[in-house]
Amino acid sequence: MVKVVAKNLSKVFKKGKVIALDNINITINNGERFGILGPSGAGKTTLMRSIAGLDVPSSGELYFDDKLVAGNGKLFVPPEDRRIGMVFQTWALYPNLTAFENIAFPLTNMKMSKEEIRKKVEEVAKILDISHVLSHYPRELSGGQQQRVSLARALVKQPSLLLLDEPFSNLDARMRDSARALVREVQNELGITLIIVSHDPADIFAIAERVGVLVKGKFAQIGNPDEIYNDPVSVEVASLIGEINELEGKLSNEGVIVSSFKFPPDTYRKDNPASEKIMIGVRPENVKLSKEVINDDSWIFVGKGKIKVVGYQGGLFRITVSPPDSEEEIVTYTDHRTNIGEEILVYVKKHSVMVFNQ
Amino acid sequence: MRPVIKASLHYLALAVVSVLWLIPVYAMVINGFKSDLEVSSTPVLVPPTQFSIGAYVSVFGSLAKPLLNSLIIVIPTSFIAAFLGAMGAYFFYTLSYSYSRFSSTLSDVLFSLIALATFIPYQATLIPLTRLIVDMGLLDTYAGIIFAMLIFYIPTGALLMSMFISVLPRSLVEAAKIDGTGDLKIFLKIVFPLSMPGFISTLIFIIIQSWNNFFIPLVLVTTPEMKLISVAVEAYTGGYGTLYNDTFAAAMLASIIPLAIFIFLGRYFIRGLIALGGGGKGV
Repeated sequence: MVKVVAKNLSKVFKKGKVIALDNINITINNGERFGILGPSGAGKTTLMRSIAGLDVPSSGELYFDDKLVAGNGKLFVPPEDRRIGMVFQTWALYPNLTAFENIAFPLTNMKMSKEEIRKKVEEVAKILDISHVLSHYPRELSGGQQQRVSLARALVKQPSLLLLDEPFSNLDARMRDSARALVREVQNELGITLIIVSHDPADIFAIAERVGVLVKGKFAQIGNPDEIYNDPVSVEVASLIGEINELEGKLSNEGVIVSSFKFPPDTYRKDNPASEKIMIGVRPENVKLSKEVINDDSWIFVGKGKIKVVGYQGGLFRITVSPPDSEEEIVTYTDHRTNIGEEILVYVKKHSVMVFNQ
Repeated sequence: MRPVIKASLHYLALAVVSVLWLIPVYAMVINGFKSDLEVSSTPVLVPPTQFSIGAYVSVFGSLAKPLLNSLIIVIPTSFIAAFLGAMGAYFFYTLSYSYSRFSSTLSDVLFSLIALATFIPYQATLIPLTRLIVDMGLLDTYAGIIFAMLIFYIPTGALLMSMFISVLPRSLVEAAKIDGTGDLKIFLKIVFPLSMPGFISTLIFIIIQSWNNFFIPLVLVTTPEMKLISVAVEAYTGGYGTLYNDTFAAAMLASIIPLAIFIFLGRYFIRGLIALGGGGKGV
């Protein structure tokens, strides 16, 4: 229930030797679910910490609604007055307090009766399904329970802004899905503004309605997750939001040539190649391998390949295929076994190849 | 080298060190039980032919008050020094993580000063310290001795505690800040309970140090009634003649409390040090 506005926000460390944030401009709207995606060291956590008030930006301004909370290296509103709930990557539960006391901790700082605190903690514990473990200490809880206690602690004080710093990275894959669903549900119910930082695109797709891709302290692209997945501005952004085959090719009259593979113009997604040396990107799901010729207009033949690596990943085979006598590699998934060294026809989906001029 | 030989050499080295440490303790214990004649006629490492508690009986009467005095001084000194030291250590912890460059520099400077303070020999501060205590009207009082000891042991406490506090995960303090908690509450509810093993180690260290402190009570006590145990024991080595069995018995009585603390609380002391080595994983 707060609008977060960053204006020319920068943060430097070590007397300017390390630039963590470089002129960030962003408006995160009231009630929005905003994702920050980026590789390690891109400044994701610094941006999150600046918004939380744990770090102070070196220059630029940060507003909550119309209120200046930090600007030009000064902190105007400290973290405790920003009405923030935050879930840390490590969850940061107080090891010496029980789950109940952990969740109640923020409330004990407000003027609230014990009865009222108990009611509120039980209410939020019920939503998050941790009522039965309230008397346990964090070390006695499973990872998923700890994560939910941490989320409960962040939510119990009814913050206007919820910050999630890689909250699911310590959970196993199965727990992760339900945790993501839970976060969305709770956010939906409370209508609070949510910012999630992650390097896992799955978190972003599951939670964020808008995402900013942070590369070297700058937003390389901001948009909704589908848009960024399908129309990334650079190979780097494309690879951050999902698996992609990056190939370097040469432009010719018949299309882009990568070794003996040829990607004709009707495979291009949008942009036409402009320079002679170009980079193309193909998502694994847009590649099809076949032993026979495919008579379907939506799949376009690019060349004969040789299978290099076959890996089995729970129901699917992950295949790496290369043009003969070449180091270039294309990865895709199929549901049937193929043999290493086999020759195979490689197809790509029409209008699926991303072209990045260099 | 074969593992067996290596392990044997390890144990041999440990045994040598243990024996070196135990010889004086052994001498102290056995000679206290010798009679006046035997203590001066037999070698120091030979056990008594007849156990006699005469020496203990004769010294206990005059050591009871100094023992009590020492307890009255040492208990508040060690608790206050360790606790205030812990608070100081947390203060430096928050300063050093502060976003303002000024506060982190200030933290470094103040911390170096404190470290320096723990290295100053008591003797060097003799005159100013005595004058300070006299001017405060605290000469020859419990409060005066405690105050003087605190001057030396609070920095020690802060220095030791800052090692234990600095390994606490920073995110815990940050989470508490975001939860709207003030620094005093963060310290009392989170930082202090979590650094308890370190606090106990610091406490034991200060108890033993202040119990054994000789110089401060020597200077600041002027009447026999106020004598502390360390000074009282020294009185047994006289200028004209020494009753060795009495001296050893007195030394034994004076060592009982530090020894008992170390024997019963030693594992906490070591646990605290281990928690430190593990990068705070113990918490």
